[in-house]
Amino acid sequence: MKKIVIALSIALLLAIAGTQEVAAQCKQQMVYKCATDGGNAIYLRDFNTKLNKLKSGEKDPGTKWTVVLNTGTRYRFILCTPPGLENKVELTLFDSQHPEENPWLKTDETRNVQDYVCRRSGMYYVSIKWKEGFGDQKTCAVGILSFVGKNQ
Amino acid sequence: MVKKYLYLAFIAVIAVVSSCGEGTEKKVDVPKEIIEDGTAEVELDSAPIDRIIESFSSPIEMAASIESMDIPYSQKILVPTASADMFETNFKKSMGLGMLSANLGYLNVYKKVNTIVEYLTVIKRIADDLDIDQYFDFQTLKRLATNSDNLDSLMMLSVSSHHRMDEHLRSTGRSDLSALMVTGVWIEGMYLAVSVDELKRSDEMRNQVGDQKNILSDLYYVLKFFESKPHFKELITDFDALKEAYEGVTITTVPGETRTVVENGVTVTYSGDETVIQMTDEQYAEIAENIKKIRNKLISL
Repeated sequence: MKKIVIALSIALLLAIAGTQEVAAQCKQQMVYKCATDGGNAIYLRDFNTKLNKLKSGEKDPGTKWTVVLNTGTRYRFILCTPPGLENKVELTLFDSQHPEENPWLKTDETRNVQDYVCRRSGMYYVSIKWKEGFGDQKTCAVGILSFVGKNQ
Repeated sequence: MVKKYLYLAFIAVIAVVSSCGEGTEKKVDVPKEIIEDGTAEVELDSAPIDRIIESFSSPIEMAASIESMDIPYSQKILVPTASADMFETNFKKSMGLGMLSANLGYLNVYKKVNTIVEYLTVIKRIADDLDIDQYFDFQTLKRLATNSDNLDSLMMLSVSSHHRMDEHLRSTGRSDLSALMVTGVWIEGMYLAVSVDELKRSDEMRNQVGDQKNILSDLYYVLKFFESKPHFKELITDFDALKEAYEGVTITTVPGETRTVVENGVTVTYSGDETVIQMTDEQYAEIAENIKKIRNKLISL
């Protein structure tokens, strides 16, 4: 009977250890810092997500959010990650016209701040995920959507 | 004794294993029907509806649009804070919370710090009643509002608090109240738009109002989903009239070539589409009338 108790205790420890692979969302401090990267743009909302460690060859489905954008508005999208991961994570903006494989915009290492001038009001999608070939650790990432101006 | 430990260890393993799933980020599969036509059919599962609710605009966006058009500030178009005393049901509290949040956005954009504290106080009271006050850091917001150096932080914290309260409602099975909150934000934003146009006619603002036809359709689907909940039927009837007023408005999108340029070090993507809105003055007047009716009904009862 003692052996069963020990086995279950080990299973418990393994289960706890397993949860350590699950990442957490970025802290609010990082969200606020990322929002200030937008300069004079007005913060509208954030997309805060955890990125889990992927198995070898596994593709990250990412986290997606729906967002309504309005005609004539210039929006700013910013992606922030912990240091060293700038080129490993991407934020994309897409819709039915420009699906995720051919999005309206996609961030990269040198362009983590990008503006989008909307010409059609409606529902769009924001996705944040590991770029293909990356994902060897758990981490977090945050996207910021802000308002730059009208009819620019 | 051993049996007792065995039992406890077993329960612990089950508890930890079953909690692992909850700890991972919800991977959202975008509902196919939304991707295809921009709207969603009413379904029994509230998850797709939650996706639509979360998409609605920030409580600050309409105010930011108004301010960016150099339209002067006007306090008389805001919901009087005393109206909050009339928000007796959770239905009215949720919708009122959305409306007051849109007003707070307006005050933030125009940096009216003296009035901001008054609105923060009322919002805090409603958040308490709806048991979402843990996401509304009143003391910090109040402190930020009394220091003019912190207005950007105040604006950001008040908007993010709004979103967190809204998210909490959805994550605790109160999506109907979340739907009312976004409806409140939307209707108050529209009210601000038609009110500033009344003060000084603005074709740009009128276009923005007309352009909301498709967004209204999405919002209407959300409200219809909760039709069986208390008080929703009456609100839907009012929205039926608003939808009818929009009936004659046509929105045409002319496809064009998208271009990407670098401006002041920032990559800018200009969508090539062009949206053409056709709306007569009479149609606009009927829309504006319905917006005012829905909004004033809540604060005058």
